[in-house]
Order: sequence, then C-alpha cells, then structure tokens
Amino acid sequence: MTCPLLEYRDGDDDHSFDVARAYCTAVDAFVQPMRADVCNDRYDLHHADDCEFYRAHADDRTASANADDDASDANDDASDADDTGADA
Amino acid sequence: MTYDDYLAGEPVIVTAALTGGVHGKEANPNLPETPEEIGRAAAAAEAAGASVVHLHARRPNGERSFSTERFQAVTDAVREQADDVIVQHSTGGTGAPDDVRHQPLRTDPPPEMASLDMGPLNRYEHLTSENTRALVDSLLAEMHDRGIKPELEVFNDGHLNEVRGLLERADLADPAYATLIFGGGTLTPPRPGNLLNAVRNLPDGAAFNTLGFGRHQLPFATLGVLLGGHVRVGLEDNVYRDRGELAESNAQLVERVATVAETLGRPVASPAEAREILGL
Repeated sequence: MTCPLLEYRDGDDDHSFDVARAYCTAVDAFVQPMRADVCNDRYDLHHADDCEFYRAHADDRTASANADDDASDANDDASDADDTGADA
Repeated sequence: MTYDDYLAGEPVIVTAALTGGVHGKEANPNLPETPEEIGRAAAAAEAAGASVVHLHARRPNGERSFSTERFQAVTDAVREQADDVIVQHSTGGTGAPDDVRHQPLRTDPPPEMASLDMGPLNRYEHLTSENTRALVDSLLAEMHDRGIKPELEVFNDGHLNEVRGLLERADLADPAYATLIFGGGTLTPPRPGNLLNAVRNLPDGAAFNTLGFGRHQLPFATLGVLLGGHVRVGLEDNVYRDRGELAESNAQLVERVATVAETLGRPVASPAEAREILGL
C-alpha cells in the first residue's frame, strides 16, 4: 500500500520539475528518490516500518487522538458534574 | 599501495559518481538524472580528468531503477557522448531484492566494472541493506562470467574481513580494487586515522579508492592521494562545492580534485592508464 502521506507534485516554492516527483505531506518536502521506494512500498520496503517520518506522523496522530479523547472525557466529567449539581 | 606510490608520482584514477540513487534534483538541480543528462555529465567529467564513471539508473521522475533496460539507456548515452571513459555500473540497492541487483550487469556490452557491496549496512533510521555473502558470491560469479571487474565497496572495517574472505574463496584478477567508504550510519566514521587503519588492513597487493560522503569528499580524496590511493568524487556522494554552495556539476568536483592531485605531484590517469592500473 502506498503511503497515504505521499503525493506527486511538479513543483513547490523552491523547485520546478518536468515530471511530477514524490512529495511527503508529513514533512512538506520533496522525497529523496530512494525514499520514494519506501513511500511506494516497493521492493522489500514498507513505509509503516521503514519511514521515520511516517512513524513520527503516526505517533503525533495517536497523541492527538488521545488528547481529543482526554478532552472528550473532561467534557463528559463536566457534564456529569453539572448533572450532579442539578440534582443537588 | 602506499605513501611510496605518492612519492613516486603514480597516476591517480578519478572516479566520477555522477548521479546515484539516494538523492536527486530535489537536493541539487544540477544533478544529472536522465540518460541524456548523464551522458553529457560523463563527457564533461572525463574532460575534467575522470577516467571512470560510476553509474546508476533512474525512472523519468528521478526514482531508482535497477532494470537492465534503464541501465542500457544510460550506458548507451555515456558511450555516445564520452570518449574512452571506463563504465562502472552500481549493483547497490538498499531494500532491493537480490534478483534485481543483478540486472545492471546485463547490458550489451556489459560494463567494464561494477560495484560489489561487501556486506550489511544501515542507512537512515530503519533501512538496512543486507548484502548477504550469498548475494555477494552470486553477483561476483555473474561479473566473472561477463568479464566485469568488481569494485569492492568497503563501508566499514568489518567489510575488510569480507574482502579477505572473498579473496580466499574466489578467483579475482589482480589487483583487487577496494573503495574505502566513510560516512554515517554503519559506515566507518570519517576521521583520517580510520582511513590510515583501513589502508593498513587491506590485503597485500590490493589497490584502493577513497570515498568520503558530503563535506568529507575533498579531504578524504586528498588523503587518498597522499596515501597512494585513488579517489571518487561526484554529485552522488556530495552535492556541495563549499559549505552552503551547491556544486555546479560533476565536472566541477572532478576538476577540483584533479587540481589537488596534480598540485601534490600525482597526475590524473587517462582511461588507458586506468585500465592498465586496474588490469582491465
């Protein structure tokens, strides 16, 4: 499976290419050609195992999701507190 | 090869690593990627003093290709545009399966030389190139069948043991030719003492080439010249001419190291001289 963070672009503010090249949306930079094999899961390479940028991005997403869960729990607690107050 | 070879003013073989497969135009827009660009770069590097060109092949979008077809296009372009330069194909490939690693050897005509990684190495955070002995032996066997001289790539001191082992179990034409490579990851750290140590541990009669990645390219090439070795430069290994200043071309890097060698009293070898030195 190709990395979901991979796009092919023909340029950015600093580059312009005749043929669209691999671009990593996690780090906002064009990918080195060898790394593009990791992005595309070519040969024996796999983005989820071999790409530190994907892993860091996945860790960030997990941390963000956990933070959202914590925030949701806090709201639930507040709601419970309100309910308790109403009961009083 | 020793300091005596330096004192004797023996010619230096300059290898130009023109394109590679790790980085590309995103790192330096002057880096040649297409066969046409690589052919032009080979001719310019030869004119600047290179007698060997180390070649990789790429897809149109710059990504790595190991296919015989792509290598054929590159080597055809080099032979059309350069004069007499020695063609050396890479068989390296982090993560690439063993069968595709053989494909660069199967052009017509075959390259005069091809690289042979001498063992495992790590790159980046998670990438490992296994380079098992089985793969090394199978690549060497095909090189032997096709009349290709191996360039033994020594990425760390343990690979020197592998060179000795290879010489014991395989029949290599003299001289064995080893490239001593210095950089990050599991490569030997780029410090001058480590080059001296590696040279001391080469098998008797072996010739050596010196490769330092990045900013270590010029100093390690200079050390190689002083120690009687040969040198590899080029945009595959270093995209800068100076700190923060991108190199204009492979030829610029070749010309600079040729000037260093000649200033130190060693002329650069012509392709014909390089063939004689390498026993091609």
